[in-house]
Amino acid sequence: MKPMKSEDKIRILLSKNKMDVHDRGIRYLARKLQEAGFEVILTRHGLIDEVVNIAEQEDVNVIGLSFSAGGHISACLRLQQLLKERGMTDKRVIVGGIIPDDDIPDLEETGVQGVFGAGSSADEAVAFINSMFRGEKLLRP
Amino acid sequence: MFDDNAKDKVTKQLDAWDANMQKRYSDRVFDLRTDGGIPIKPVYSPADIDHLDYDVISMPGQYPYTRGIYPIMYQAQPWVMQQIHGHGLPEHARERMDYLAELGLTGYGETRSYNLVFDQVCKFGYDPDNPEVGDLVGLVGVNMTTLDDYDRLLKGLDLERTAIVLNQGIHSMIALAFFIIYGEQQGVPKEKLRGNTMNWLYKGWMTDLEMYPPKPAFMIMSNFIRWCSRNMPRWNTTNIVSYFAEEAGGTPVQEAAMAMSISIALTEACIAAGCQPDEFLPRFGFQIALGSDIFEHVAKIRAMRRLWATINRERFGAQDPHSMTIRCHSQTSAVSLTAQQPMVNIVRSAYHALVGVLAGVNGMTINAYDEALGIPTDESLMLAVRTHQVAQYETGMPNVTDPLAGSYYIEWLTDRIYHDAMDYIEKIEQQGGFIKGWESGWLRNELANSAYEWRRRIDSGEKVVVGLNKFQSSVHRKAQLYKIDPKVKEVAIERVKRYRAERGMESERAAALESLKVACEGVLDNHKADFMPALIECARARSTVEEMASAMKGVFGWGSVY
Repeated sequence: MKPMKSEDKIRILLSKNKMDVHDRGIRYLARKLQEAGFEVILTRHGLIDEVVNIAEQEDVNVIGLSFSAGGHISACLRLQQLLKERGMTDKRVIVGGIIPDDDIPDLEETGVQGVFGAGSSADEAVAFINSMFRGEKLLRP
Repeated sequence: MFDDNAKDKVTKQLDAWDANMQKRYSDRVFDLRTDGGIPIKPVYSPADIDHLDYDVISMPGQYPYTRGIYPIMYQAQPWVMQQIHGHGLPEHARERMDYLAELGLTGYGETRSYNLVFDQVCKFGYDPDNPEVGDLVGLVGVNMTTLDDYDRLLKGLDLERTAIVLNQGIHSMIALAFFIIYGEQQGVPKEKLRGNTMNWLYKGWMTDLEMYPPKPAFMIMSNFIRWCSRNMPRWNTTNIVSYFAEEAGGTPVQEAAMAMSISIALTEACIAAGCQPDEFLPRFGFQIALGSDIFEHVAKIRAMRRLWATINRERFGAQDPHSMTIRCHSQTSAVSLTAQQPMVNIVRSAYHALVGVLAGVNGMTINAYDEALGIPTDESLMLAVRTHQVAQYETGMPNVTDPLAGSYYIEWLTDRIYHDAMDYIEKIEQQGGFIKGWESGWLRNELANSAYEWRRRIDSGEKVVVGLNKFQSSVHRKAQLYKIDPKVKEVAIERVKRYRAERGMESERAAALESLKVACEGVLDNHKADFMPALIECARARSTVEEMASAMKGVFGWGSVY
């Protein structure tokens, strides 16, 4: 009989550009998501390609990117492009940090499903992530 | 502090007060704390400061400088309106510098002062065409990659009467190297240059960003301080930015203690590099948070003055009063601002500025109301400048130095924060000091726990943030956001490529970069060499930021500690 693994846990990759200084928000979120029962991997990246590599290696269900200094739209465009190329479009994308309201439609165009800007609560993010997977079985090979 | 007669009177008054409280509020408990968590009372009296020796308060301009670093403060020199600025290309940054001058910004004494922030690309030592920088070129600071950029930025400024803060973060020394060459070209020798470098290489303690590793970082910083102390008498070498500790979640006590701990570690490193404390301490500066709990932050700043003076005299034997007088630049708390109902931030920042004025800081950056959304627009920046000006010209506050001195609450709280900070510094020493506390992640965890507690209190409603968890409004007035010129990255890349193609000086540059590597190795070998002269030659030979930084990273190491 196969040993029990945490197959049913939603796996989330949270990542920030390595030149983006302010990380108290994403660290707080990582802790709250773990408390809520998710598997959380927290990384820094130079190129978005690194994010996609880790997302694949760690077989995550959700990719979360955080921005305090801008660059979110081009980063998400690049992410969308890479996920398409690598056949990883089943991964959900959420974004947080300093995100002007006006940019949300553009982000949604790139496939971003949830935006958690300044002041958002971790509970909102938890509920949203759960709702993205309601009724799905997270199977692993 | 008080004689028996006074004590008798106070005791009688307190007894009467107690009785009054029982009569009116016997069924209520007043559980009050400062925002940083210090339990406080609803009223203070002489009894609360009777234990204080008057010597720890003293007069402004006298050890331990609790009341101010000069005998009088704003009557002689108002706080400097040191608004941070910097975005886009050098000409964009220069436009804003000229705008700030128009709005009324000046400097210390007869000088004009600019507080210039470089972009993340420069700060981390990259050129704008490096693929890893993505879209960060010119976003939250100005991109200054080559010597030509200094000309674009500074053309026409009188360098002998202009003080420039070169905030290129951990790579400020590269900015200084360029600035020295630019100054030479304008006929101003480096001995006459005024301004500040950040020397922020200790900054990696809070984050998992790539940095110079801790031990090399302290060798670089102390080597830099040694060279500047001996070659640039008007230059402020180091900025101890305790503000970042507050922004990362630290309480006022933690902010004060961590600031001192960094200063201690730097002082020890400079002594190990062969310097006497009085040689370099006078050119340290601090950047302190102005937060929402008004009196707690005022008391914190007064306590920091007493802390720095006491530590430098008692622990390090400093004798020059300039080694004991902490020069405080300050910045209003950005983390306290909201994206929701952003105009309310004008009010918040004015209260934060009140902290600075009452505490007697030497310089202040007041955040614009759109700080939570992006860099300031012309309008929001103007409002921030006007906030300074109303305080300076309309409120009467600058007429009297340290006006809160003698307040029972303020003196009690100042002394309390002083002692709590000393205890926390001792805790850091028990971890092995600042460097060990950094390497082990202990300091970082302390801040993360405070940040978690802050957010827990907001989520539970214990801590109210107007507009966020109480008094929300669905009527959302959108703030006009500043839009960076989208061509910035393109232009910056085109310029650096052209620079590389046209600069010549191939052999000089190769030799300079090689001598930089050798000098850096000499630094690591117990400071047998200084790296600044070689870095200056690299700037003279028209190297770019990334070329210089890469040479340094190659020797000192570069990566994340965590």
